[in-house]
Amino acid sequence: MAVDRLIHEPARLAIMTNLFVVESANATYLLQQTGLTWGNLGSHLSKLEEARYVDVVKGYNGKQPQTTISLTPQGRNALEAYREHLLAALAPLSE
Amino acid sequence: MTGLTDLKTLEKRAFRRFYEDGIFDVFLGLMLGTMAVGALVQDWIASETAGVLSMFGMSVVLVVVLMTVRRRLLRSRLGEFKPGPRRKRRIINVRLALLGSVVVGLILFGLVAAGGVSLVSLEVLMPLVWFINAVVVFGAMAYLLDVPRFYLHGFLFGLAMPLMVLPDVLWNYRVPPWIALGGPAAVIVMIGLFKLTRFLREYPVRSITEATNASP
Repeated sequence: MAVDRLIHEPARLAIMTNLFVVESANATYLLQQTGLTWGNLGSHLSKLEEARYVDVVKGYNGKQPQTTISLTPQGRNALEAYREHLLAALAPLSE
Repeated sequence: MTGLTDLKTLEKRAFRRFYEDGIFDVFLGLMLGTMAVGALVQDWIASETAGVLSMFGMSVVLVVVLMTVRRRLLRSRLGEFKPGPRRKRRIINVRLALLGSVVVGLILFGLVAAGGVSLVSLEVLMPLVWFINAVVVFGAMAYLLDVPRFYLHGFLFGLAMPLMVLPDVLWNYRVPPWIALGGPAAVIVMIGLFKLTRFLREYPVRSITEATNASP
């Protein structure tokens, strides 16, 4: 049973789970929630965006640049599938 | 990096952080404080209108300042997010609870205006209604927004009116407004300031330049 290695990486899992519980968020929010550095966050978001798990929209909030990030439906499904895989893989331990 | 947490706790924690700045507590305390100031103005100038106007004016200024400061403070330190469906439902429920309390207040006001309640029983009834209303409304906010200290604020806020009115009605002893209203107000403001200083320390401003250079 293959675990989604893109989500399995702890930093990306933290990003995905934090995005899962909101409709969308900006980069500062993700930084505070995950404790990552800007560079780390940028790098992981690029990978998730490539896989179409997240949408990254750059715009402006007044005069300030703002990056809005959200999970795509594909990303939400991938995270739910990942969760089910893990639960199935670890289920025998509870017996 | 933040350790992994279950999704429910994650969502609660994310939302609760937006009330960790203490600004709302300071605002609440100052709103109660405006009532103390309004009562003092009324006593000094011997004019109920002056008291009400000063209270109204201060409240408007407070609301504007609160919204501006909170937006600037939170945006630069915590970022922004749009809540998910579960949280949106809870926010709607909070608004309904607040609306309900306004409706109750209006009904009671209507009863008084229509002469449906005698003056004596009104003097005892109104502080109790105030207390129950405050406890229920703030309790609902505490439960729905997952911010437990709002239960305490509800109790303190609710205590103010009974403390001012009931000793006078029952024992002919008038507690000065600056104690009855100012006391609970001061406690709530101090809680808010404590939370604010801690918040400023825990959540530094993220530099825009750093963000622009490193963002994806």
